[in-house]
Amino acid sequence: MELLIALIPALPLVGFVYTILAGPFLDRFPGGHGHGGHGGHDHDPHEGAHGAVGEAAGAHGTVDDSRFHTVPSEEEQRATSPHAGHADDLANSEGADGVIPAQFADGRGQAGHAGHGAAAPHHRSWVVPTLLIGVAWVMSMVVFVNVIFGGHTYHVTLYEWIAAGSFHVTISFLVDQLTAMLLLVVSTVGFLVHVYSIGYMDGDRGMWRFFAYLNLFMLSMLLLILGDNYLMLYVGWEAVGLCSYALIGFWYKKPSAAGAAKKAFIVNRVGDLGFSLGVMMIWTTFGTLSFSDVFAKVAPATGPVLLAGGPSELTVTIIALLLFAGAVGKSAQFPLHVWLPDAMEGPTPVSALIHAATMVNAGVYMVARSNPIFAHAPIAMFVVASIGIFTAIFAALIALTQNDIKKVLAYSTVSQLAYMFTGLGVGAWAAAIFHLVSHGFFKGLLFMGSGSVIHGAAGEQDMRYMGGLRAKMRWTYITMVIGSLALAGIPIFAGFFSKDEILGETFSRGYAIFYLVGIVTAFLTAFYTFRMIYMTFHGSWRGLGTAWHHIHESAATMVVPLQILAVPTILIGLALGLPPEGGLIHSWLAPVFEKSEAAGIVAGSLASAGEGFSFIGIGGLLLLVGAGVGAAGIWLAHRWYVEDPDAPRRFVNAIPLGLGPGMYAASVNKYYVDDFYQLVFARGGVLLGNALWWFDAKVIDGAVNGAAWLAQRIGGGLRKVQTGRIENYGLGMAAGLVLVLIVYAVVIR
Amino acid sequence: MTLRNVIHSAVAMMICFGSLAGMYALLGAPIIAAAQVLIYLGAISVLILFAIMLTQAGDASLPAPFHRQAPIAVALAVIVVGLVSWAVVGTDWHVAATVATVDINAIGNLLFTTYALPFEIIGFLLLAAIIGAIFLARRPEEDERAN
Amino acid sequence: MASLPGYLIVSTLLFGIGAFGFLARRNAILMLISIELMLNSVNLSLVAFNAYIPGAQNAGAVFALIVMAVAAAEATVGLALVIAIIRTRQTPEVDEYHDLRE
Repeated sequence: MELLIALIPALPLVGFVYTILAGPFLDRFPGGHGHGGHGGHDHDPHEGAHGAVGEAAGAHGTVDDSRFHTVPSEEEQRATSPHAGHADDLANSEGADGVIPAQFADGRGQAGHAGHGAAAPHHRSWVVPTLLIGVAWVMSMVVFVNVIFGGHTYHVTLYEWIAAGSFHVTISFLVDQLTAMLLLVVSTVGFLVHVYSIGYMDGDRGMWRFFAYLNLFMLSMLLLILGDNYLMLYVGWEAVGLCSYALIGFWYKKPSAAGAAKKAFIVNRVGDLGFSLGVMMIWTTFGTLSFSDVFAKVAPATGPVLLAGGPSELTVTIIALLLFAGAVGKSAQFPLHVWLPDAMEGPTPVSALIHAATMVNAGVYMVARSNPIFAHAPIAMFVVASIGIFTAIFAALIALTQNDIKKVLAYSTVSQLAYMFTGLGVGAWAAAIFHLVSHGFFKGLLFMGSGSVIHGAAGEQDMRYMGGLRAKMRWTYITMVIGSLALAGIPIFAGFFSKDEILGETFSRGYAIFYLVGIVTAFLTAFYTFRMIYMTFHGSWRGLGTAWHHIHESAATMVVPLQILAVPTILIGLALGLPPEGGLIHSWLAPVFEKSEAAGIVAGSLASAGEGFSFIGIGGLLLLVGAGVGAAGIWLAHRWYVEDPDAPRRFVNAIPLGLGPGMYAASVNKYYVDDFYQLVFARGGVLLGNALWWFDAKVIDGAVNGAAWLAQRIGGGLRKVQTGRIENYGLGMAAGLVLVLIVYAVVIR
Repeated sequence: MTLRNVIHSAVAMMICFGSLAGMYALLGAPIIAAAQVLIYLGAISVLILFAIMLTQAGDASLPAPFHRQAPIAVALAVIVVGLVSWAVVGTDWHVAATVATVDINAIGNLLFTTYALPFEIIGFLLLAAIIGAIFLARRPEEDERAN
Repeated sequence: MASLPGYLIVSTLLFGIGAFGFLARRNAILMLISIELMLNSVNLSLVAFNAYIPGAQNAGAVFALIVMAVAAAEATVGLALVIAIIRTRQTPEVDEYHDLRE
C-alpha cells in the first residue's frame, strides 16, 4: 500500500517528462509537414531539436517553423472565424475555428473529423499521459477504499530532503481520510479532463505541450494533497500556481491569455507571500513543519485549549491568518479573486480541472488540514467565515450580469468556494469538505459542458448569441441541466445536501446573519445558473444564421466524461450526505476533525445547546428554506429568460431612486475591483518606479557625479599651487615655518 | 634692502658684514670676528660682486624691485620677528655676569678633538662646493661638442 | 644694551629682514644676498649665546665657525648656479624661471 501511495504522484511525473521530451515527435499536423517525416520516434533527434527552421531548409527547400505555432495570430483567427462580424465580443477566440489551420476550417473541422490533407494528421501525444493518469486513478481508488473503508492512515517517508541543523524536512506522504477525499476528486476529475482534452484539443498544434502541462499539474496537485508537512504543501502550492500560469497562458501568442496568466500568477503570489510567512512562523513557533508534530504542539490530546507552555493565542491567530491569506489568493476569495475570471482565457479543460475541481480547492484543503491551528484562533475563524460569506454574495452579484458562459461559471466557482470557507470558518469542517467534493464534480461537469457548448457553437462564448441549443446538443444539455440543478441546490442532487448542510451549520452555530446572506446567495446562485441554461439552450438561436447548420453534438471523448460526471452529481449527495450533519462523510472525516468540532460555535446558539440535526424542527425547516430559494431562483430565471425576455430590463428600470442602471453597470464591471487594482497597484507601481528612477538618477547618480565633479574642481584648484617658481615655494616654506612657530607659541608654550 | 641697484645692495651687505665683525669682537670672540672679516668680507662678498659682474646685472636699475608676493612676505617676516622677540624677551636667560671670551687655543683644541668630525666633514663639503662651482659655472663648450 | 636679549633681538631683526628679502626680491642674486644675511644673523645669536650663557665651553663659537664654512660653500655653489641660469635665460628675474610648472 505504501508503494502504491508513493507511485501515485510518480506516474504523472513520468508522463510529464516523457511528453515534454517526446511530444513534438508524436504529433503531426497537416499544412507544411508533409515532407520531413516528423512523426514517430525514428526521427533524428538533432533535426527535431532545431526544429524545421534552417536545418531543413537545404533538404526540404522551405524554412518551416510553423510547427511551433501553437495558435494562429489574432488576425488569422478572426479571418477564419465565422463570427467575423462580432469577433471582438469573443472573450477569447478559442474554439476549433481558431486552432485548426485554414485549409481545414470547413466549419465541420471539429474534433473527430478527419482532415482532407494529403498527409493524414495524427496526434499521439495524448496516449501516454492519459493512460498514466488512468492508472493513477485506479491506484487512487484503491487507496481511497482502503483508507476510508478500512480506516487506515498511511505515513510513507520517501527521502530526507533537508537536514540543516535543527531544520528537518522529509519528502513523505500522509494519507488520511481527508487526503483520500481529495484524492478522489483530484484523480477522478483529472482523469476525465484528460480524456475530455483528447477531443477538445484535437488539432491544436500545442497538444503535446498541453498534455505535458496537465500531467505536471496532476503531479503538483498530488504532491500538495499527499504531503505530510507544510513545506511539501507549499511546494505543491507553488507548483500548481506555475502550472496554472502555463495552462492559462497556453495560447501564449494571444496577448489577453498571456496577460491573464501573469495576472493569475501575480495575484496568487500576493497570497503566497502571506502563506510563506505563515509557514515560516509555524517553524519558528513550533520548530517543525510536519503536520502531526505541529498539531500535537498546538493542543493537547484532549480538549480545545491550547497546550500549556506552547504558543500564545495571538501567535496561533497570526499564523492562521497568514495561512488564510494564502488560501485567499489560491482559492480566489475577495480581494484576490480577480484572477479567476480572467483565467478563463485558458482552454476549457484547464478551467474545468484547475479552476473548478482541483487547484482552487487547495486553499480549502489547506485550511481544513490546519484545523487544529484554526480551532484555537477564534478570531481567525471568524475572519475566514466573514470573508467567505462576503465573497459568496459578491461573486454571485457579479455573475448575475455576465454574458460569457465561462465567466458565469468562474464567478460561481468563486462563490461556491466562498461557501466552503464560510463552512470552515464556522467550524463545519466536514460539511465544507463535503461541499468541496460535490462541487468538484458538478463544477467540473458544468465547465466541461460549457466547453462542449463552445465547441459545438463554433467558438461562440457569448450567451447573447446562443440559444436553442438543446435541440442540437442533447447530451450536453441534459448533463448541464443536471449540473445546474446541483449547483442551484435542488434536493436529491449533490449541491443541495452539501450547501444546505453548510448553511444549516452556520445557523445552528449561531451565525444568523451569515445564514441570511448565504440564503440570499443561494437564491442568486440558482437564478444565474438557470439564466445561463435558459439563455444557452432554450429559446431560439441568436447567432449567425450560417453557423446554425454547423452546430452539432461534440465527439464522444467530450460527451462521455460529461455523462460519467453526471452520476456522482446526482448520487453523491444521497450517498454521503444523509442524514444531514450525520451522514457518511461525517463519519469518514471524523478522525481528522474530531478535535476541532467545537470550534466556531457561538455561545447561546443551537449547537452550543447540544442539539443535533432533526428533520422535525429547525434543521428540517432550514432544508425546506434552502430548497425553496433554489426553486424560486429557477422560477425567476425561467420567467425572465424564457417567458418574458423584456422583464429584466423593466426590473432594472423599476428599481427605486434610479439606481438600477448604476447597479447593473457596477455588476457588469465586476464592481470595479480590477479597475481599482489597475489604478492603485499597476499605475501606482509605475509611478513608484518613476519616482525611484528619479531618485536613482538624480540623487544617487548625482552624488556620484558630484563627487567626480568635486574631485575635478579640487584638482583643478590644487594644480595652481604648482607654479614652478621658487619664490612661491619659498613663500610656502616660510608660511609653514610661521605656522609651526605659532603652534609652538600658542599650544606648547 | 630696498636699494634698486644690485651693486649698491652688495656694498650694503659688505657694510653689514663689517658691523657684525665688530659685534663679534664686542662679544669677546675676536677669532670669530677675524673669521667673519676673512670669509665674508674677503671671500663671499667678492664672490657676489664677481657674480654680479659676470651676469652683468650691473648698475642697471631693477625695474620693480619687489615681487607680487611682497606684502605676504612682509606679514610673515613681521610675525616671525614678533614671535621670536616675544619669546626672547619673555625668557629668563640666567645670564652670566661677565662676557666669556673665546680663547683661540681652546677653539683649536675643540676643532681637533670634540668637533673633529664636523671639521672633517666641512672639509669635504668645501671640496664638493669647489668642484661643483667650477663645473656649474663654466662656459658651455660648443666647439668640443660640435666635434 | 650689551645684554643677551638685545643681541638676540638684533639677530632676529636681521633674520626677518633677510627672510623678507628672500621672499620678496626678484633678482636671483639679491635672494642669495638675503640668504647670507639670514645666516649671519644666526651666527650672531650663536656667538651671543656663547658669550652670555655660562658653561657653553665655546661650543657656540665653534658652531659659528662651522656655519660660516657652510655659508661659504653654499654661497659658492649657489652663485655658480645663478650664473649658469642667468647665462641661459638671459635674465636674473626669478619670475621668468617657470619651466617647472606644467
